Amino acid sequence: MLAFIVQRALQAILVMAVMSVIVFVGVYAVGNPVDIVIPPDATIAMREEVIRRLGLDLPLWKQYGIFAWNLLHGDFGRSFVYNMPVLELIGGRLPATLELVLISILFATVVGVSLGIYAGVKPDSLLSKLIMGLSILGFSVPSFWVGLILILTFAVSLGILPAGGRGETVTVFGVPWSFLTLNGLSHIVLPALNLALFKLAMMIRLARAGTREAMLSDTVKFARAAGLSEATILRRHVLKLISIPIITVFGLELGSTLAFAVVTETIFSWPGVGKLIIDSITVLDRPVMVAYLVLTAFLFVMINFTVDLVFAAIDPRIRSGRQSA
Amino acid sequence: MTGPAPTTPAPGKATPPIVLFWREFRRNRFATVALAVTLLLAFVALFAPFIAPQDPYNLQTLSLMDARRPPGHVGSGGYVHILGTDAQGRDLLSAILYGLRISIQISLAAGFIALTIGATVGVLAAYVGGWIESVIMRIVDLQLSFPAILLALVLSALLGQGKAQLVTALVAAQYAYFARTAYGAATAERRKDYVEAALATPLSARRVIFRHLLPNCAPPLIVVATVQIASSISLEATLSFLGLGLPVTEPSLGMLISNGFAYMMSGRYWISVYPGLMLILLIMAINIVGDQIRDQLNPRLRR
Amino acid sequence: MSYMKMTAISGLIALVAGMAGAQTLTIGVRGGPESLDPHYSALGTHAEAAKHIFDTLVWADENLQIAPGLATEWKPVDDDTWEFKLREGVKFHDGSDFTAEDVKFSIARPPIVTGPTTTAIYVRRVKEVEIIDPHTIHIHTDGPAPSLPYDFVRLFVVSHTAAADYSTPETAPEGFNSGKAAIGTGPYKLVSWEPKGDLVLERFDDYWGGPSAWEKVIRKEMPNDSSRLAALKAGQVDLVNDVSSADYLQLKNDASVDTFLGDGIYIMNLLLDQRPDVMPGVRAKDGSALPTNPLTDIRVRQAFDKAIDRETMVEIVLEGLGKPADQGMPPGFFGYSDKVEKPVYDPEGAKALLAEAGFPDGFEIDLYCTSDRLPGDAAICQGLGQMLSVIGMKVNVNATSRTVYFPAQSRGEYSVSMNGWGTLTGEATYTLGGQMHTPDKEKGLGGFNRISYSNAELDKLIETGMVELDEAKRRAILENAMEVAAADKVLIPIVQLQSVWAAKAGTLDFTPRTDGDTLAYPIHPKK
Repeated sequence: MLAFIVQRALQAILVMAVMSVIVFVGVYAVGNPVDIVIPPDATIAMREEVIRRLGLDLPLWKQYGIFAWNLLHGDFGRSFVYNMPVLELIGGRLPATLELVLISILFATVVGVSLGIYAGVKPDSLLSKLIMGLSILGFSVPSFWVGLILILTFAVSLGILPAGGRGETVTVFGVPWSFLTLNGLSHIVLPALNLALFKLAMMIRLARAGTREAMLSDTVKFARAAGLSEATILRRHVLKLISIPIITVFGLELGSTLAFAVVTETIFSWPGVGKLIIDSITVLDRPVMVAYLVLTAFLFVMINFTVDLVFAAIDPRIRSGRQSA
Repeated sequence: MTGPAPTTPAPGKATPPIVLFWREFRRNRFATVALAVTLLLAFVALFAPFIAPQDPYNLQTLSLMDARRPPGHVGSGGYVHILGTDAQGRDLLSAILYGLRISIQISLAAGFIALTIGATVGVLAAYVGGWIESVIMRIVDLQLSFPAILLALVLSALLGQGKAQLVTALVAAQYAYFARTAYGAATAERRKDYVEAALATPLSARRVIFRHLLPNCAPPLIVVATVQIASSISLEATLSFLGLGLPVTEPSLGMLISNGFAYMMSGRYWISVYPGLMLILLIMAINIVGDQIRDQLNPRLRR
Repeated sequence: MSYMKMTAISGLIALVAGMAGAQTLTIGVRGGPESLDPHYSALGTHAEAAKHIFDTLVWADENLQIAPGLATEWKPVDDDTWEFKLREGVKFHDGSDFTAEDVKFSIARPPIVTGPTTTAIYVRRVKEVEIIDPHTIHIHTDGPAPSLPYDFVRLFVVSHTAAADYSTPETAPEGFNSGKAAIGTGPYKLVSWEPKGDLVLERFDDYWGGPSAWEKVIRKEMPNDSSRLAALKAGQVDLVNDVSSADYLQLKNDASVDTFLGDGIYIMNLLLDQRPDVMPGVRAKDGSALPTNPLTDIRVRQAFDKAIDRETMVEIVLEGLGKPADQGMPPGFFGYSDKVEKPVYDPEGAKALLAEAGFPDGFEIDLYCTSDRLPGDAAICQGLGQMLSVIGMKVNVNATSRTVYFPAQSRGEYSVSMNGWGTLTGEATYTLGGQMHTPDKEKGLGGFNRISYSNAELDKLIETGMVELDEAKRRAILENAMEVAAADKVLIPIVQLQSVWAAKAGTLDFTPRTDGDTLAYPIHPKK
C-alpha cells in the first residue's frame, strides 16, 4: 500500500509540474495584455514602463522561472488588473463558489441517486419513464438557458426569489457563508438548482444503470432466494454495488461542477471564482488565469489521487493490478 | 464494457446483425421517433439553403426595417416571418435552419476528428503497452478529469473566434473520452487468449489491430460518439453564450439564443426561445437515440 | 408594559426602520473599481467609484463643464505656471485638515503607484509643484499647458499622512483596499469593498458640500444587463445604470419604473485606413487585388458617409438609445463645431460617387468591429454592413472581442473598422490629438491613430490649440480643427450613444451625467 501511495504521489507531483508549464506557456501565448489594458493616449514611454513593470519584457523561460520560483513559495503573483496578490483575490471568492458547488452537488447526488434507484428497480413504471425523460431533458438543455428561464420565472414573473447576487452571510471560522441565513438561502436556491440540474440528470442515469445491473447480479439473486426483503436488498446490496461508480463520479464531478459554475455565476451574478476567471479571460489578466488553472489542476490531481486511494482501500486488486482510472 | 464479439456472419443464412439491431431498436417507439427527428433535423440542416425562405448571411437580403418583428409579421421581402425576426432583421426560421446547419457541422466535424484521434490513441496504447501505454493513458485520464468546458473555454480564449478554432477547442476537449473508451475495449480484447495467441504468432500488427481490436471498440465508441456530439452542440452554445465561440454574423443556434437573451426581459421572447427549443429538440433526440443504442449494446441488460 | 407604551415603541421601531430603509441607497452598476487606490487606474468605472470617497481639484459637472472642486479658482500666471487657490475648511475622513501638502503629495503619487491603465497622464505636464501658502499652489508645467484644469478633473486628492506609508506599487493596494489609507475628503467613508463585488460606503457628516442624503450607499457590481434589470424589478437594488437598448422601450412604458435618459461621451466611428499600397481585407468583388487602396479616394469615403442611414441606426438598431453624430465628439464639448456639415442619407448619391471613383459595382471589404466593448457595437456594425451593401459593396462583417480587435487593429490588420471613442476629458485635443494627429512618439500624439492618417494642416491646428492659453482663441482653433477633420471623412462618425438609468417609480431624483457616472451624492430621495 505504501509503495502504491508513494508512486501515485510522485506521479501527481510530476503531473503538476508539467501542468504548470503547459498552462503558463498556453496562457502567455494569448495576445498582448498591454494593448487591452493601456489607454489609447498613453505615450510610448508609459507603455514600455508598464511592460517592464508587468515583467513582460523578459524572455518566456525567465518569466516561467520567476513564476515557478514564486509558486514554490506559495506566491502566485499579482493580478495585472487589481495589483492584488492573486491568491488573495481568488481566496476571497472561493467560499462563495465552494458553497454553491457543494450545495448543488449534494442536492444532485441525494435526489439523483434516489430517483435513479427507483427508476432502476421499476424500469417499466410510468414514474420511472417520467424520471428518465426528465433526466434526458436535464442532460440536453444547456445550463445557461435553464438559468435564464429560472430567472424569468421565479424572479421576474413570480417575484418570489432574487434574480442574482449573494445574500446575507454569516461568518463561521472567519469565512462568510450565506446558506445559514434565510436571505442567503433564498439567493442560493436558483443558482444551486441551475448548477445541479445537469449533475442530477447524470446521477439519475448512473444510479439507474447501476441498479439495473445490480438487480441482475448473482448477489441480489441469491439474496432474493434467501428471502430478504426488497428494501433490505436495496439498502445492503444494491446501494453498496452502485456506490463505487457514484463515489468516483461524485469526486470527479466536484471538479467539473466547479468549472460549470463559471456559467451559473455569470448568469446569477454570483460573486465566485468562476465570474472572476471569465472576466480575467476577457481582459487577459494572465496571473489570475494561470493561478486559477494551476489551482484547478491541483484540485483535480488531488481528487484523482484521493479517488485512487479510496479505490485501493475498497478494492485491493487495484493495488497490485494494472493502473486504472 | 465488453461488446458481444461480433462474429463474422455466416454468409447467406443468418440475418445480418445490423438488421437484428434495427429490429430491436424499432421496438422502442420513443427512440424510433427520436431517430426520425434526428434524421429530419439533419436533412433540414443539409438542405437549409433550399428550404429557408431567406439567406440570413447575405446582407443584401436583410433589412433593418424588419428587425425584431413578432412571429407572423409580413416583412419587406413579401413573405411571412413564421417565427418572427431577430435584431438584424433576419428571418428567424431561416436563421434557425442555418444555425442548425452550423451547429451540426461543427459538432460532427469535432466528433469525427476527436473519434479518429481518440480511437487511434486508445487502441495504440492498448496494443503497444509498456511505458508508452502508461504515459498515454495517464495523460488521457488527467484530461478526462479536467472539465471539458474549462478546457474548451481556455482554448477558445487562446485561439480566438472562428469555426476552425472552435472545432480545435472541442476536439481537444473531447478526444480523451474516445481514447479512454477505445482503450478500455481494446485492452479487454487484447487480454483474451486468442489475441494473445495471435500476438505470439507472427501475425501482422495491422491484422491484430484491424481484425480484433478495432471492431471490438466500435460499439462503445458509437455510444460515446452520440453522447459527445450532443454535448459538443451544447458546449458550443455555452461558449457562444459566454462570448467565446463563433462570430455573431453567422450565428449558430447557441449564438442566436445568446443574442436573443438581451430581449427576454422586454418580452421579445421569440428571438431566444425558438432557437432554444430547436437546440433542445436536437440534443434530446440525439441523446435518446444514443441511450437506446447503449442499452442494446450492453448485453447484460438484455433479457 | 402599558398598551400606550407598546404602540409608542413599535411606532418608533417602524419609524427607525423606515428611515434606515429610506437612507440606504443600493445601486446596481455594470462595472466597478479595480482598487480603492484612486491613483491606480484611469478607467471610467474606477474614477466613478473613487469620486464617492475622494475629491478632485477641478470638478466636472454633469455636462462635463469644469467647475470648482477642492480648488476654488485657478488661472495661468505665466506661460508655464498655473495658480490654484484651494478650498478652506475642508476635512479628511480622519478629521485632519486638507492643505497644499496633500495636493503636492497627490500630484507626485500617480506615476509611482499607477496600474496598467495609467493615471500618470493626468500629471504628465507637471514639472514642479510649489507651495505658496497652505491654500495656494503654483504648478510649473513643461510648456504652456492650457488643458491642465481638464487633466485635474481626474486627479484625486488623498491624505498625505494617511497614504504616506502606502505609496509604492507593493504597499498601495493593501493600504487602500483595507481602508487604512482610503481617507479622502469626499462625501462618503469607505466601509468595505470586494473586487467585482460590493462597495459599501457610509455618509461623511463633515463633508464640505454638506452631508449626503444617504446614510449608507451600496454599489453592487452586476455586469450582466438582464440580471441587473431583474434585480431592480425584484426590488434588490434601487437604481441601475446602463439599461440596454433592448430593454429601454419597454421600460419607458412601464409605470412601475422611472427611466432617465442621458447623452453619453461615446461616438461610434467608422475608420478607413489610409495606407496607399497596403489594404488588408479590401479587394475587388472577384477576389482579385486592387492596384491602390480605394479608401484613399475621398469620393469613396464620401460614398460610405452617404450610405449610412443614421436615423435608422438610432431608431431601429439602438431602439432610440442614441443620436446621429456628425463629428468625433458630442455637441457642447470644448471644440465642438456647429459648422460641420450634417451628414445626409443618400444611397443614390453614394452609388454615383462610387461609380465616379471607378467602382460602379462597388468592391469587397472586411469590416471589423468590437462586439463586447460598448452597448450595441456589434449590432451597429452589422447594420453598417447592410447599409454599405445597399450601395453595391460586398461587406464581410466581423464582430470580435475587444481582446482580439484592439491588438489586431494596432498591428494594422484592418482597413475598415469600427469602434467607439469616448472624449473622457470633454475637450477636443484629447480626441483629435489621440486619433487623428500623425503618430508622433516624441510629442505623445496620434497614439490611437490606427489608420495611418496624416494631415499637416490638422496637425498644426491641434498643436497650436494645445498651447494656446487664451480660451476663446483656443476654442476657435479647435473648432476649426474639428471641421478640417470631419471634412476628410477618414473617421466617419455614426452615432452618439446614450445611457439610461432606471429606478423604481417615484423614488429618486436623478440627473444623468454625460460621462455616464452614477454618483450617489447628487441623488436624492423623492419627497
